[in-house]
Amino acid sequence: MKHRTFLEYRRYRYLKVATLLALISIFVFAWYTFPVGRYGGTVVGYVLGTISALLIVWLMWLGVQKRRYKANISGIQGWLSAHVYIGGALIVLATLHAGFQVGWNIHTLAYVLMLIVIFSGFFGVFAYLRFPALMTANMGEETLDSLVQKIADLDREIRRTAMSMSDEINAVAMESIKNTRVGGGVFAQFLHRPGNCPTKRAVVFLEGIGKTLKGDQQKQNRDLYSLMLRKEKWVDRARADVRFKALLDLWLYIHVPVSFALLAALTAHIISVFFYW
Amino acid sequence: MKLLLVQLTRNKLGQVTRTQQTLNVDQVRIGRGSDCKFHLPDPRVAMHHAVIGSSGSDLTNDSTCFIEADAGLVTIDGTIERAAKLKVGQKIHLGPFELIVLQHVADVDLALSWELLDPLKDNLEGVKANVKVGLRNTWLSKRFFSWAGAAAILSVFLIWPVVSALNPPPKMSGAQAMASPVLASAITADASWNPGELASPHQGFGRDCAQCHTQPFVHTTNAACESCHQIIGWHFARDTKEAKAMHAAVFEKPGDATQCASCHRDHKGPMGLVRQDSPLCTQCHADLKIKVPRTTTANISDFSKDHPPFKLSMLVPGKTGREGIVRVSQDESGLKEKSNLKFPHDVHMEKKGIRGQNGKTVMECKNCHVPDETGSRFKPTTMKDHCQDCHSLEFEPKATDRQVPHGNVADVLATVNEFYAQAVLADTPIDVVFDEGARRPGERLNVADPAKRLAALSWASKKGATISQELMEVRVCFTCHEIKRVSVADGTDPKTPPTQTWQVEPIAVTQHWLPKSRFPHNQHSPYECKECHQVEKSKTSADIAIPDLKNCQGCHAGNITTTDKVRGTCETCHGFHVGGSKSGVPIPLPGGVPHDPKERAAKSVAVLQPKAHP
Repeated sequence: MKHRTFLEYRRYRYLKVATLLALISIFVFAWYTFPVGRYGGTVVGYVLGTISALLIVWLMWLGVQKRRYKANISGIQGWLSAHVYIGGALIVLATLHAGFQVGWNIHTLAYVLMLIVIFSGFFGVFAYLRFPALMTANMGEETLDSLVQKIADLDREIRRTAMSMSDEINAVAMESIKNTRVGGGVFAQFLHRPGNCPTKRAVVFLEGIGKTLKGDQQKQNRDLYSLMLRKEKWVDRARADVRFKALLDLWLYIHVPVSFALLAALTAHIISVFFYW
Repeated sequence: MKLLLVQLTRNKLGQVTRTQQTLNVDQVRIGRGSDCKFHLPDPRVAMHHAVIGSSGSDLTNDSTCFIEADAGLVTIDGTIERAAKLKVGQKIHLGPFELIVLQHVADVDLALSWELLDPLKDNLEGVKANVKVGLRNTWLSKRFFSWAGAAAILSVFLIWPVVSALNPPPKMSGAQAMASPVLASAITADASWNPGELASPHQGFGRDCAQCHTQPFVHTTNAACESCHQIIGWHFARDTKEAKAMHAAVFEKPGDATQCASCHRDHKGPMGLVRQDSPLCTQCHADLKIKVPRTTTANISDFSKDHPPFKLSMLVPGKTGREGIVRVSQDESGLKEKSNLKFPHDVHMEKKGIRGQNGKTVMECKNCHVPDETGSRFKPTTMKDHCQDCHSLEFEPKATDRQVPHGNVADVLATVNEFYAQAVLADTPIDVVFDEGARRPGERLNVADPAKRLAALSWASKKGATISQELMEVRVCFTCHEIKRVSVADGTDPKTPPTQTWQVEPIAVTQHWLPKSRFPHNQHSPYECKECHQVEKSKTSADIAIPDLKNCQGCHAGNITTTDKVRGTCETCHGFHVGGSKSGVPIPLPGGVPHDPKERAAKSVAVLQPKAHP
């Protein structure tokens, strides 16, 4: 049976709901005459605004639901499906609520934060649909742990081979063993090919020095070089995997905190409007 | 040189195992290289790290043994040395290895123990330590960012504005607020709440939100508006009981309908405060006859569709007040203006010019119709300013410097009579005055002779009557005015026969034909007058040259703009607050509104009330 994503949940049930919601909003917005202009302060504006605000709170409730429904995967799937589609419809509702008016104020701040939340969520959907396949393509049968094991085995061989080679070569090999890092800090996790990777330096160095060596030394160097090349490939794959994992994580570091910022801005928006009614 | 090397290895419990090796060479090379006799197998040791040798022949003297660094670093008792003599107890570090110079042993030149202090870590652990996956293992924290972001936004955009609004600075009037440098320059706490640009008249004090938003969580009140806008008109005059009740039912019921703000929404841009949309009006006026059966106002939904013919407000000669104006629909047939002024436009607008005192003049509209201060409408045309240059009030051809006064029949008659009496009695050459043969040329009147004087006066009286009749019935006054002959009885003595005199019919030149609309002439200046007012062939002042509905519809569409026409909503021509103000001060007509309320009142009365032609 074909694997169904949360997007297809119950034959796109929530896509239909969201589309209907958006269409009704557009229809009401177009049909209703706004004697003093289209904006949040009209009857339609208040209705759209109330619905939008309630939806935002409801959508944020997913964060709570996710923790509650630990055992029930299909429950979570339904929630997630609704979360994504209704979240998308919110763009239409909130834009019509604002009547396409923007300015440098708390009202537009809330609107912009909402858009950031929604579009970061869209990136999340994209990431979950796209990256797993790319990650599998990158790793094949390997896992990060198995790659680490392989790199460690290679390192042992590299150390053994380099032991009987000149100090210069040995130092380069040792540097590769000691200081080749995969992932690390926030930015390092996103770097596919860090510029100062000691393994890459070793590959370049060994290739260069190989031309000056002769006999046994040259043969040893060739062995070490091929070991280093293999290591470089595995390190690259491990780094790509780390990067994908970081990207899969990253959008949530925007989606979640900005959601809370939005909740705060929404509160300020609503109170301010009625404070100065 | 005989060298004893003792290798120390420790098991997990720390127990030491010793392995001995004896070397008998001149020099011992130390390193990880396979050619080194003292082999230290670790990548951290150089290929050829150092050399141990003996310099003296006295082999029992330990001071002759030395160590010399080759490609690696040699540390002796914590100090990096290039070369040094070896002494008992010295600790020598070569990479991860520690060498200790031991006590003398028989038959041996030098005894050393060596131990790998810092074995290389397991490869897997080393690699694992260098692999760090997942953003959760970095400084990024969803929880921290969530709290920090929400707290920052609530502080800046909610708590600060609310606290500052609940603790307002001393109340200032709009004018004071405008002058206040603090408000003019500082960023106010609630500036972020402003949903849009204020109407331009409100921008000066707009930073002080409390000027309009007087109470939290309460709609802006009419009182807040009326604190500045004191003269605001009702929508229609509440001059009858029914009108009053109607007005109350529609505009004064409690709730939203009474709110200024229900129509006038601010924060809609500099020009956004006044509604320009027709639905504001047509929601009542589209079927007004159903809503108010007794109304005389026609239904209207769109200027281009069902606007009734214009209603002209014409002055009624001799009447004042409500009776002084008659409202007639422009589609009535045979509509004539009764102004009691004779003015053929065709004669005056003759293309070849019209003969005046200063020769022929080609007249233009603007010679008589001079725009007022607003440019919207025109100053009244007056005899003095616009007619008298050509229409001199001379009455005696021989005395061109004398004119009758303008404005009053009695004054005219008196002037004429006085002129001839004075002329005949004064020491004036008679032939200059008259030539009927009563005197011979050059002869002077003997005033001392009573009979002659009487005869002269009788002549003057007759002459005056003749000339007066001429002025009233043939020329000068008669040229422009409707004049009728009247007999005036002397009220004191019934026997006295009534005096014959004339009455100039009151002038009623309508100044404002369509007072319920506004028509800014200056905004229509690209068009020539004659494009709307066809007067070039008009032979009489009774012709009405006010353009009709069709004329306007030629350029103005209705509620919806078309490709070839300008949009014409109700607001384009009509005002809303036109029914007399609450405060009793008359509502000024559109255009040319003076600032001072008294002057404003006077002006609006002046335009509405019929007034005798000056």
